[in-house]
Amino acid sequence: MPKQHYNKQQTPWVARDQRDRDFRDFADRRVHFKSNRGGGRKDNKGRDWGNALREHLQDEDVDMGFSASGSGRSNKFNNRGKRGRKGSPMPPSNGKRKLMEGPTNWYKVSLPHGDKFDKEFILKSLMDKMAPSPFWPIAWKVYGTTVTFYVDDYKIAEKLNNLDREIQMPNGFRLFVRVHAGCPNVDMNAATKEKMKLVMAKRYNDATKALDLTRFHADPDLQDCFCALFKPIVFLAVVDIIGENIPQLEALNLYDNKIQVLNYLKKANKKMPNLKILHMGNNKVRELSQLDTLQELQIVDLVLDGNPLCNKFRDQEQYISEVRKRFPKCMKLDGVDLPPPISFDIAEEHHMPAHQQTFLCNVEGGTTVRRFLEQYFLIYDTENRQPLLQAYHEHAVFSMTMAYPYGYGKEKTVPWLNWYATDNRNLLRLQDPERRAKLLKQGQLSVVSFLQEMPQTKHDIHSFTVDLTLFTPLMLCLTVTGMFKELKSGHKIPPLRYFIRTLVIVPAGSGFCISNEVLHVTNAIPDQAKEAFKTTIHTVNSQPQPIANVSSPGPSVPVAAPQHPPAPQIVPDDATKHEMVKQMAAQSGMNLEWSLKCLEETQWDYQRASLVFQNLNAQGIVPPQAFVK
Amino acid sequence: MDQIRGKIDQACRVAEEFTKLYYETVDKRRHLISRLYLDTGLLAWNGNGITGNENILKFMIDLPTTDHVINTLDAQPILDSAVNGQLTFMIQVSGTVRYQDKTPKTFQQNFIVTAQGDKWKIVSDCFRLQEPLNSPSK
Repeated sequence: MPKQHYNKQQTPWVARDQRDRDFRDFADRRVHFKSNRGGGRKDNKGRDWGNALREHLQDEDVDMGFSASGSGRSNKFNNRGKRGRKGSPMPPSNGKRKLMEGPTNWYKVSLPHGDKFDKEFILKSLMDKMAPSPFWPIAWKVYGTTVTFYVDDYKIAEKLNNLDREIQMPNGFRLFVRVHAGCPNVDMNAATKEKMKLVMAKRYNDATKALDLTRFHADPDLQDCFCALFKPIVFLAVVDIIGENIPQLEALNLYDNKIQVLNYLKKANKKMPNLKILHMGNNKVRELSQLDTLQELQIVDLVLDGNPLCNKFRDQEQYISEVRKRFPKCMKLDGVDLPPPISFDIAEEHHMPAHQQTFLCNVEGGTTVRRFLEQYFLIYDTENRQPLLQAYHEHAVFSMTMAYPYGYGKEKTVPWLNWYATDNRNLLRLQDPERRAKLLKQGQLSVVSFLQEMPQTKHDIHSFTVDLTLFTPLMLCLTVTGMFKELKSGHKIPPLRYFIRTLVIVPAGSGFCISNEVLHVTNAIPDQAKEAFKTTIHTVNSQPQPIANVSSPGPSVPVAAPQHPPAPQIVPDDATKHEMVKQMAAQSGMNLEWSLKCLEETQWDYQRASLVFQNLNAQGIVPPQAFVK
Repeated sequence: MDQIRGKIDQACRVAEEFTKLYYETVDKRRHLISRLYLDTGLLAWNGNGITGNENILKFMIDLPTTDHVINTLDAQPILDSAVNGQLTFMIQVSGTVRYQDKTPKTFQQNFIVTAQGDKWKIVSDCFRLQEPLNSPSK
């Protein structure tokens, strides 16, 4: 007897208590119990043996169904199945188990011993019997001797269920068809994603910028994998593919995909920013709030018909108003043109003034500022920032903060700002007054030595914004923002940073110098990065132009000038230079090359060169190779 | 040196109190904002300059409702030589701002505040959203 064989198989798989409970359930419901199920007999008080046996035989199929599935979970579904029959004096006339509608509306179909036949053959046999109802088996797989696939329609599943042992196979046996509620697992890997991409390309219309994903999982090209959009991992992959390949997308059709939740689609706004038409009729979305994540999209045409959420509204007015709360520009809902919204005269929509790249509170100050910044960053972008000493006031004060921009926190995909964390003088985090004072760099040497330590940079001067907010005879205050590439800082790709510097600049001698500076460093956001280094900058000499040389012309001397009035520059002749270098080398202990460098950078002002050397040497900034002779 | 240290501590304290008050006022009681600026105060909002506290009020009232969150705060005293000995601080803020329930944007803002009598007033206020230059701010 084949039945006995199955029962023996089942017993060890089911935990003892589970088995007892199952058994009690069954006993209560007049259904079968097995002669070889030990304890069952005792519980079954007053049972008429003959009757039980008859039922048992009639229910043979059901029992086999359990055995084939073999898992506790399927048992539960079957139990539920039984409940449907409770009260019916007789089992269905065809002797087949009735299939109950499952919660996801997905059904797993197993064909035990189906491995003996060709896929084509089985499919053709099933389809012939199923006609005229079309059906698409999804995720066809062979496990051992059992063929499994999935269908997404209750009627189809029920019909398949009724085909159990109805089809005569060439080997004389009838084909077993077992159907249970259940949906396949998703295996999202690169190969699957590649397949999805091809299918999406096939379904995309470039002329209308429309992507039709109606019944995506049922696409003939996706039959060997399971790609149902109601699985978040699949939908997210689809959104990623859109973002990478067709961000210009304007219309998306998600009709009939059994989608239930959307609230995980946090980045969809950014991946398909141009989406205007969204059709998602015949899905399973229960609340309109699921669409909150898509609010930023400028949807003008929306279809939600056929989702449970549509039944939640008192009337059409409320439905429209709730939709418009989320999509104020929506003019067409479920295919019906909406009347333009009636609004109040006090506009809710405020006007945001467009940004300007430059603001100058004093137009004449513009030249000064421009030239100051050009020179400052010219030097700043070289390996040697020491010439900036002249750009800072003797008692200059400097501090910096850093933070990640919103939406692009410290994740693997962004370049970390760790270097800047040590000196991050964020008063919100830093309570200790000692530490607060210590992180404030005071005095030009301290400031410039810190600047020297900062990573090497290349600024994109065309990305700069400049705000000159104060311009008095005593001081000027300017804020400059922009992007720079960070070089040689140990990142694989030079990170693109965004900075904000506010400088208080005071006159000094015939030029200007910085008395206060606050710097904020963050990462450029992707939209900014698109514009970075777009304008080719004229090639800059690797050797920066000495600052003092530029400080000569005109009354609006725009320069980071030395604090003592610069002596008229008389460039010494080569012989004198040679002597100066030798003297410098003897005095400083540096080799000739570095002595020359030092003198060149101080425009052959011996006294100043010697002073600069002493200062930097005292701080230990002069590199050891300068002393190698 | 002690005097400088005292100023540094004071700058930090004022910055903490000031920013709390400033953003609360902008977000919830914007009609009072002009009181925080000098009569001749200046606001540079994304490169748009507005002079005078009454004009600043008018400008700010027209902006959409806001919700600011501060992430970093820094402050330092401005050297006496730059401000003729008048007690003046520079305050640097970064954070996020949400306009009318839209997605938050990153912003940076810098204030110069000075003591006028027994009140701190904004001399200049420079606000910048972190966004690309070629796309208009929404």
